[in-house]
Amino acid sequence: MHSYVDYQSAKPVDPRVREVMLPYFHERFGNPSSLHGEGDEAAKVLEECRRTIASFINAEPDEIIFTSGATESNNLALIGYASRNREKGDHIIISEVEHISIHNIAKYLEKNGFKVSRLPVDQYGKINMKKLESRITPQTILISIGYASNEIGTIQPISEIGQLAREKGVTFHSDAVAAEGLIPLDVKRDHIDLLTLSSNDIYGPKGVGVLYMRKGMRLNPVIIGGGQERGLRSGTENIAGIVGMSKAVEIMQREMKEEVKRLAQYRDRFIKNILERIPKSHLNGHPTERLANNAHFRFEAIEGESLLLSLRDAGVSAATGSACSSKTLEPSHTLISTGLLHEEAHGSLEFTFGRFNKEEDVDRVIEVLPAIVDRLRKLSPLYKEEMPT
Amino acid sequence: MKSTQYSEKVLDHFRNPRNVGTLEGEDVASGEVGNPVCGDLMKIYIKVKDEKITDIKFQTFGCGSAIATSSMVTELVKGKTLDEALKVTRQDVADELEGLPPVKMHCSNLAVDALREAIKNYRSKKKGKVDLPVIRETKGRAKEIIGSKEFLTRGVYYTVDDFFLFKDKRVLVLDRGDKSLEIALELTKYTGRVIVVTPSKTISAGAEVATKLKQSDVKVIYESELLEIRGSEEVEKVLVHDLNEDEEYELFVDAVIILK
Repeated sequence: MHSYVDYQSAKPVDPRVREVMLPYFHERFGNPSSLHGEGDEAAKVLEECRRTIASFINAEPDEIIFTSGATESNNLALIGYASRNREKGDHIIISEVEHISIHNIAKYLEKNGFKVSRLPVDQYGKINMKKLESRITPQTILISIGYASNEIGTIQPISEIGQLAREKGVTFHSDAVAAEGLIPLDVKRDHIDLLTLSSNDIYGPKGVGVLYMRKGMRLNPVIIGGGQERGLRSGTENIAGIVGMSKAVEIMQREMKEEVKRLAQYRDRFIKNILERIPKSHLNGHPTERLANNAHFRFEAIEGESLLLSLRDAGVSAATGSACSSKTLEPSHTLISTGLLHEEAHGSLEFTFGRFNKEEDVDRVIEVLPAIVDRLRKLSPLYKEEMPT
Repeated sequence: MKSTQYSEKVLDHFRNPRNVGTLEGEDVASGEVGNPVCGDLMKIYIKVKDEKITDIKFQTFGCGSAIATSSMVTELVKGKTLDEALKVTRQDVADELEGLPPVKMHCSNLAVDALREAIKNYRSKKKGKVDLPVIRETKGRAKEIIGSKEFLTRGVYYTVDDFFLFKDKRVLVLDRGDKSLEIALELTKYTGRVIVVTPSKTISAGAEVATKLKQSDVKVIYESELLEIRGSEEVEKVLVHDLNEDEEYELFVDAVIILK
């Protein structure tokens, strides 16, 4: 038996999604731009999908731009908006706990003459509204704050941020990838101007995403070509992928409520058991305002990569924010932003549950993890010193 | 190559590390080496008779490769003379393990350094030299911490009258003796995150306070001093100087207590 509890990294495509995609590889291969039957059919399907996805976030169909995924949507939102609206100002606000793509796009914008403020967060990873307000200047054109942290699962006060941005006349972008499928999204309720969605995060295929763009927003394209998606995203539309994402949305609209309830039960039982059974263990992220599928811990005196290796041997796939497992050998910027030291981020472990998990997966991790932590602590020179009896 | 794509041999040493533990006695010396980048820590103990390593043990806090390289070093040098052991290189360890991912070559292959440290310590011990603990000058006290005046009452406090001010905040307390440590302990009733920064290697408090501190959730950062307090309108982070590694890093906090 194998337990995959790393749904934040990647999700399997729902078999019902795969099923509806298949005809679009061979029988219905048309290009929506073509002026014949195959083309007309593809164009019709594309617009149906646009309507379905728009309804998922309470938007209008012509506010949906299809992209190749969340990273591209974030690029289009930040670079596209900033470059088009430069005469209005040169200041952008993001938070310290954004997804790495937002951080790196912000760095790119800084190199191109924009000023970026990075809003600090509290020990749970949540932003502070007063601090956000104090950072808005007449030069501020864009606020980009993710709906929830993809790492520690902390949910941001999105409605309040949207309200404030609207009052101040600042455009508000939110990367909602971590939250989609777990929190009902409503761009009107939350005053969101630009919203990033991904297909894979709701059990659709990889390689498809959406940028919601409120009517009246002006953006420059970042991909230039044949003028598809109203010139904002050129390139022949990935119809099979878009059909898949649309089906994933349909399923989510029907099943989300039940699914979230089930995942939250897993999460709560899991967190309670781990903290009880493993001494010197801590929960990262917010105790209550967190995504229904996310459990993030740190264990003193041991390191995350060796935890992952041991879990792998025990048939469990999870994730860590430890420097030792990252490409750059830097610890997770999100954990550091919550006030942890490098050595503390070192011992972090992230579990994200999803649609195809069962109670047995939760039981299994609860069963194997305490012994793994114990074994690694027995190897650690820090264990004895820190834990006098 | 992904950083975690290890050879079977590395995985074997990770799963079944050889010679784990500690040693004690007249003919025992130890060496310790840490990695300032990520916080890895390796400790090696050697027992020596007639210039030969008769027993060796290790303890490691680190990734899979850090544990495997430590285990491999102990196997490689057990039974060797000290001079032979000194000839073992990082490359030898990596080769014996059938290679390490390139990114891990330097960050986690430090066991050889710990071994050399242990041999050095053994030899000085033999000569009757005792390594005195380094006493660091606590420059922090004389030197003004940048920003401490600027952020006074906006996150920096010289006294604590109302503990409720610190509810759910990340509070950093400078070690200024028993009084400051007692405040740190009291703060744990109001917030889950209390950090003490001290320039010394151990807490030099009264026995009772020291014990309580060890048992508490207070995070102590040893051998470090505070250089600067940073923020926009209120305290948001501090710059910490790690005296041992001579490294500076930022730490996100909400409040700093500096008893005068």
